Order: sequence, then structure tokens, then C-alpha cells
Amino acid sequence: MNGRVLHFYLAGINNQNFLMRDRETGTWWQQITGKAIYGPLQGSALELVLSDELTFGEWRTEFPSGQVLAPVAKYVKEYDPNWEPDVAKLPVVISFPGTELKSRDVVIGLTIDGAARAYPWETFAKQSPVLDRVNGTPLLLALGPDGKSFRVFVSRIDGRDAEFFLQGDTTADAAAGKKDWTLLDTTTASQWNFQGCATSGPAQGKCLDRIPALKDYWFDWRNYHPDTTVYKH
Amino acid sequence: MSTSSLPPVPPESPANRRSSRWLWTLFFLCSIAAIALFFIPAFIIRPFRHQAPHPLLVAMALRQRAPLGTLIASLVCVVLAFALWRTINRWGKALVVLTLVLVAFSAVVARQNYFEWMFHPIAGAQFLAQSDSKLDPKEMILAVRFGSDARAYPISQMAYHHILNDVVADVPIAVTY
Repeated sequence: MNGRVLHFYLAGINNQNFLMRDRETGTWWQQITGKAIYGPLQGSALELVLSDELTFGEWRTEFPSGQVLAPVAKYVKEYDPNWEPDVAKLPVVISFPGTELKSRDVVIGLTIDGAARAYPWETFAKQSPVLDRVNGTPLLLALGPDGKSFRVFVSRIDGRDAEFFLQGDTTADAAAGKKDWTLLDTTTASQWNFQGCATSGPAQGKCLDRIPALKDYWFDWRNYHPDTTVYKH
Repeated sequence: MSTSSLPPVPPESPANRRSSRWLWTLFFLCSIAAIALFFIPAFIIRPFRHQAPHPLLVAMALRQRAPLGTLIASLVCVVLAFALWRTINRWGKALVVLTLVLVAFSAVVARQNYFEWMFHPIAGAQFLAQSDSKLDPKEMILAVRFGSDARAYPISQMAYHHILNDVVADVPIAVTY
């Protein structure tokens, strides 16, 4: 923040989204938004780093020289290998009755210049690749070859909007590892991999721009993005 | 402290009684202040409960001031307790001691991060080459990349620790789940 390195610790909870404080100034930060909500730095916001939610298998093939956070021996017992269903069982404290989704529905949330949009995970997984447009930006949401990893791209090649579809087989086949996972674009007819880069065809070597996206529960996404729209098709 | 070593209790006068009533009032006000500084934010910011925007602001404001506030209040309480001690009977003394224990507890816990008692932070994170990792290929990870430096943070671990301050390719980042 302004050239100063801050170190964060867990300081509380706000409707099941964590509050963090930094050791340097004691400011309170909201986990999901990265915004300083109280304290000396109130009003500032942390810069969001592009990150991925991938399976270890997918990531390993993409970044063979990457490093993995080691488990802390003292706390290995505390790690919950079943974290996903276990977290889903926890009670919710806020709900938005009358909205399109249920509190614990998983969504992919993204914002483009302040316009928020949520993609119900199930719809997305069934339809992937999903083509959409938010605030004028053409988007491509893709479920990875493993059926669990996902990424969001700007579906534009050299400034021109493009459409993508999965080559040959269905998403389900690709997810089951039956076929190589390849996207084809209708503008240049090039082949694209899950990293968003063209592996062959006229666009070979080009990569699509990435859009940060968050896999979240509907109640949490809706709470911090009250104006969000929901993708449906 | 044995009562025999103390000078005899002065005879009660209306003025004495009035000043002792004042001391009691001040003592309870300062102990309520100390306890409230710890307890109100702890009560508002508790898991699995709804936090409304305004109470949350109150909680953060109190918690911000609690370390110094509880310390000052505790010291004032102790001074007042000393002033009261000789004028009160055994029940009064028991009440004062009990209150002081609660005040001291508040002052101590206001300096602790009890959220980290539940979710221990990672001190000095270690990293493995992926060939040394025992992670299942189906396990989900959070991944970042800066230039050629790629790092993966297994979600099963991050869902326990919740926050990791890391530096990747000289960029300080906070990884949080």
C-alpha cells in the first residue's frame, strides 16, 4: 500500500467473510473486496492479483517448475480433506430471499468496470465454454479439462470479438479425459488451450487476456455485490 | 492481606459514606468500561451470526481502542479498589476482587487475537517442488504466477490457516481463502 508492505492477520468475521487487519497500521480489511473498511487506511483498496482455482493435476502440467506450499506439520491434523462439503454444511447468517439462487449455490463472480455478474456453477459446468458480454466486454468462461478448474478470458483476438467452442467432443468427455481438451475460435479457426493461448492455426502464439474471477457462495457474492446480475440461459 | 496489620477503620461519618458511594460508582463505571471494551466487539464479531453494518463499525472502533482503553481502565479500577478496600466488608471485598478479575481478563484478552487461537497462522511458510508434494492431482489449489515464478496454495491448507503473507518474485501478496 503506497509503497509500504503490509502483513495481514485474521481479525474477525463479517457475515462469514473474514476481516483482516494489518500489523503495520491496524486497519481493518474486508477479505472479499480487499477494501479498508475501518482504521488509518480506511478507503484504500488492495490491488487484486490474478489467481486461479485449479486442480493440482492441472496446475502441475502447466507449471512443472512451480512450488507448492508445504503443509505445516503441527497443524496437519487440523486440515480438513473434506473441506468443500463440510463448509457447505455450515449455517448461513444472511440470505437473499426472492433472488435467483439459494444461499449455498456456488457461483463464479466477476466484475467488469464495476458491473458484477454471477454465473451459477452448475449452469456453467453444463454449458462450458460459456460466451457472454458484461459491460461491453465479450467474455469466455471455460471449465478445464479436469472438469473442476476454471478460467475467464476476454474473448477478443487482436481487438476483434471472437466466439469459441469446444472441439469435437462434449465437455463431459473432455472432463473424463476421453479427449484432448481444445477450444476452437470461429474468427481465425485456431486451436486454443486452457491457458487461453493458441497452440495452432493463424493465431498461434497469441494469448487471450484474463479476467479475475472468484468462486464463491451466492450469499457472499450477493452481499458484497448487491447490484450483481445473474447469468441464465 | 491481613486486616490486623491495617490501621483501625475510621468511624463512619456522613462525609465518608458519601465519598465511598462515589468511589463505588466510579469503580463500577470503570470496570464496566474495561469489560465492555472487550466484550462488545467480541459479541458483535462472533462467527455464525449476522453482522449489521453499524454495530460492526462500533465493534471495530472499540476493538481498535481496547488495548489502551482496557489498560487505562484497569489501572483506574485498581486504584479505586485500593481506596475502597478499607471501607468495605467481606462481601464488598469479594465483589471488588471478582470485578477486578473480570477487568484483568478483559485487558488481557483485548490484547490477544483469539481468532488465531482457532486458525493458527503460518509462521515461515515452506515450499516444496511439485515432485515432493504428496497432494492428490484432484485436490484444488489457489495458483498465482509472476513471470516464471508459479506458486500453488492447497485449498485444504488455506481453508484452515485462511491467510498467508507471501512474497513471490519480490511482490508481497496476501493469499486468503
